[in-house]
Amino acid sequence: MASLSLIDVHKRYGSTAVLDGVSLEMEKKEFIAFLGPSGSGKSTLLRIIAGLETADSGEVWLDGRRIDGLTPGDRGVALVFQQYALYPHMTVRENMAFGLRNAKVPASEITTRIEQAARTLEIDQLLDRKPGQLSGGQRQRVAIGRAIVKAPKLFLLDEPLSNLDAALRNRTRVELAQLRQRVDAAVIMVTHDQAEAMTLADRIVVMSDRSIQQVGTPMEIYDRPANRFVAGFVGSPAMTMLPVTLDPSGNADAIVRLGNGTLIATQIKREELTGETSFDLGLRPESVTVAAVGAGTLDAEAVIVERLGDRTLVYARLDDGSEITAVDRGDSKLHMGDRLGLLIDGRSAHLFGSDGSGYHAEQTI
Amino acid sequence: MSAAATRNRLPLPALIGVVIGAAIMVAPLLWTLLLSLKSNSELMRDSAAALSPPYTLGNYRDILAGSDVPLWLLNSLIVSLGTTAAVLLLCSLAGYGFARLDFPCRRSLFIFVLLGLAIPEQAVILPRHQLFASMGWHNSYGGLILPGLAAPFGVFFMTQYFRAIPKDLDEAAMLDGASRFRIFWKVLLPLSLPAQATLGVFTFLGSWNDYWWPLISATTSDKYTLTVGLASSQMNYAQTSGLGFLMAQAVFASIPILIVYIIFQKQIVGAMAGAATR
Repeated sequence: MASLSLIDVHKRYGSTAVLDGVSLEMEKKEFIAFLGPSGSGKSTLLRIIAGLETADSGEVWLDGRRIDGLTPGDRGVALVFQQYALYPHMTVRENMAFGLRNAKVPASEITTRIEQAARTLEIDQLLDRKPGQLSGGQRQRVAIGRAIVKAPKLFLLDEPLSNLDAALRNRTRVELAQLRQRVDAAVIMVTHDQAEAMTLADRIVVMSDRSIQQVGTPMEIYDRPANRFVAGFVGSPAMTMLPVTLDPSGNADAIVRLGNGTLIATQIKREELTGETSFDLGLRPESVTVAAVGAGTLDAEAVIVERLGDRTLVYARLDDGSEITAVDRGDSKLHMGDRLGLLIDGRSAHLFGSDGSGYHAEQTI
Repeated sequence: MSAAATRNRLPLPALIGVVIGAAIMVAPLLWTLLLSLKSNSELMRDSAAALSPPYTLGNYRDILAGSDVPLWLLNSLIVSLGTTAAVLLLCSLAGYGFARLDFPCRRSLFIFVLLGLAIPEQAVILPRHQLFASMGWHNSYGGLILPGLAAPFGVFFMTQYFRAIPKDLDEAAMLDGASRFRIFWKVLLPLSLPAQATLGVFTFLGSWNDYWWPLISATTSDKYTLTVGLASSQMNYAQTSGLGFLMAQAVFASIPILIVYIIFQKQIVGAMAGAATR
C-alpha cells in the first residue's frame, strides 16, 4: 500500500491556477524530491500535504487514511521549514518538546525522545540554548530534531539546504542521506537544486507549469527525460538542443540530419517517431567530445571555456549560429575563439517532437 | 582608549551643546526638588533660600500624615495600571486578529479603527460625559479607566508588530498541533513582549498624566487622581504661602513615574529611537 497518495489535486489563487490535477503515489520509506523552478507549484503541493493550504479539489491520503480534511497537527506529518521556523523565545529542548506537549505525550517520554534525537543529530550540547545562539547549521539540525521527535509518518523538507553555505550544504546533504536510513518514515523534499534531488531522492518528481512533468528515479529523469522541459531543467550544463530532420536512410534506428547536412545515427527506434519529420536533437555535454578541426562530426568555434579540473566544458558555436556544449579533457589547451572539431555520439542522443515529447535510445539505462 | 569609546566620543562643540541642553532640562527639576526640601515659612521670606541649607523633609511628612495625596496616588495607580493591563490585553488580541485571522471586512474594520487616531478627545468629551453621567459611571474607577481602553494606536502598533513576526512560526506551531489560542498565547504573545512593554509604558504614562477626563469624571476628592488632586490643592496664594509643600507634592507624584522609567528605560529609549529612525 502506498504511503502517500495524491489524487487529482487542484489549487488556484484567485484566477491563477497553481496546481492542475496533480496525482502521485508514494511508497513507504521512500524519499521523493519535488524538483522544479520557482512558481512550478512544488511548495504549494508540499503545503497542501502538510495542511497549511487547502486544495480546491482532490484527495490526500496517508497510510490509508484520508488527511486532506484534518488539521496540520492531526495529519502525522512533520515539516522542516526553509527558514527553520524555530520558536526564538524557547530553548532547543522546549522547541522540540512543544509539539509533544500539545499531543499530551507523558513528560518522561518527551525527555527520552528529545535526548535520543539530540544524540542522533549531535545537538545534545545545545539543548538549553536558544535558537539565536546557534549557527545556521545547528538551527537546521534542531529543526530536523523537532520533526524527528514527533515520529511522523511523513517528513516534509522545504528547501532544507538552501540557507547553508556551500561547504555546510554538502555535509548536511550527506547527513540527510544518512538520516533517512534511520527514520522509519517517508520523506518529501522540495528543492530547485537538481544536485540535491539527484543525490538524495529515490524518485524525483519534476514539476513545471502547475503539473508534474515526470516522475522517475534520478537516472530515469536524466537518461530518459519525458519532455523538452525535463531535459533542459535536469542536468548541468543543460542539454543542447539542435533542430534536425529525420533522414529517410537508416533502418530500425533513426538517422537525423543537422541543418548543415551532417547525418547523425541515433539508437532511437524509428517506429516510435509518430509521423513527424522535424525534431530537436538533445545532446548531453558528455555526448559531445572535442576533436581536431575536421576530424569530428562537425566544426565549431569555442565561445567559453570552463576549466573544472577533471574536465573542461566548452561552449561552442556552430557555423549556423546554434550553440552546443562539449566536454574536453581536464588539461584542454583550448581557448576562447579557437576552432575545434566536435564528435557527436548519436547513440546517447535524444529526440524531442514538436509537442515536446522525448524519444530515447532503448539501452541507455 | 578602546576603539568603541573613540568612535562614540562626541566632538567638543557638540558635547558643550549637550551639556547645556541637559542643564536646561535638569535645572527646573532640581529647583523643584530643592524647594520641596525647604519649609514654607523660609520660602515665603525668600525663595532663593532653597539654594542653601538647612533642608528638611517636613513637607513630605505633611503629605504622608495629613493630606489626601497618598489616596490620590493610590487612585492614579489603580486607574493607570487598570488602563494599561486592559489596553495591552485588548490591543494584543485585536492586533493578532488583524494580523493573522482571515475574516470578512478585516481591511475595512482596520481602517475604521485607524480613523480613531484622527478624532481628538475634545470632539467627543461632551457626549462621553453625558453618556457616563446617564449611566452613573462618574466618580468610579470604571468611569476613569473605560475611555482609555479605546486605543487605536495600540491596535495599530500591535497589528504591525504581529505582522512582522514570520508566519512560519504560526505554521510550525499548527504542525505541532497547537490550537489557535495556544499559538497566540505560547508563541506570538511571548515574542511580542518588547512591543507590549513599549505600549504598556506609554499607556501607563499617558494615563498617569491624564488630567482632563479625571477632572470631569472624578468630582469627589476620594476619587481624584493625583493630577486632579494636586491641581485642586493649588488654591489662591498657594504659590507663596505653601510653595515647599506644593513642590513636595509634585516630587512625590513623580516618584512612580521615575520608578517606571528606571525599570523600563530600555523600552522607552528603544521606542523613541525607533520612532526617530523609522
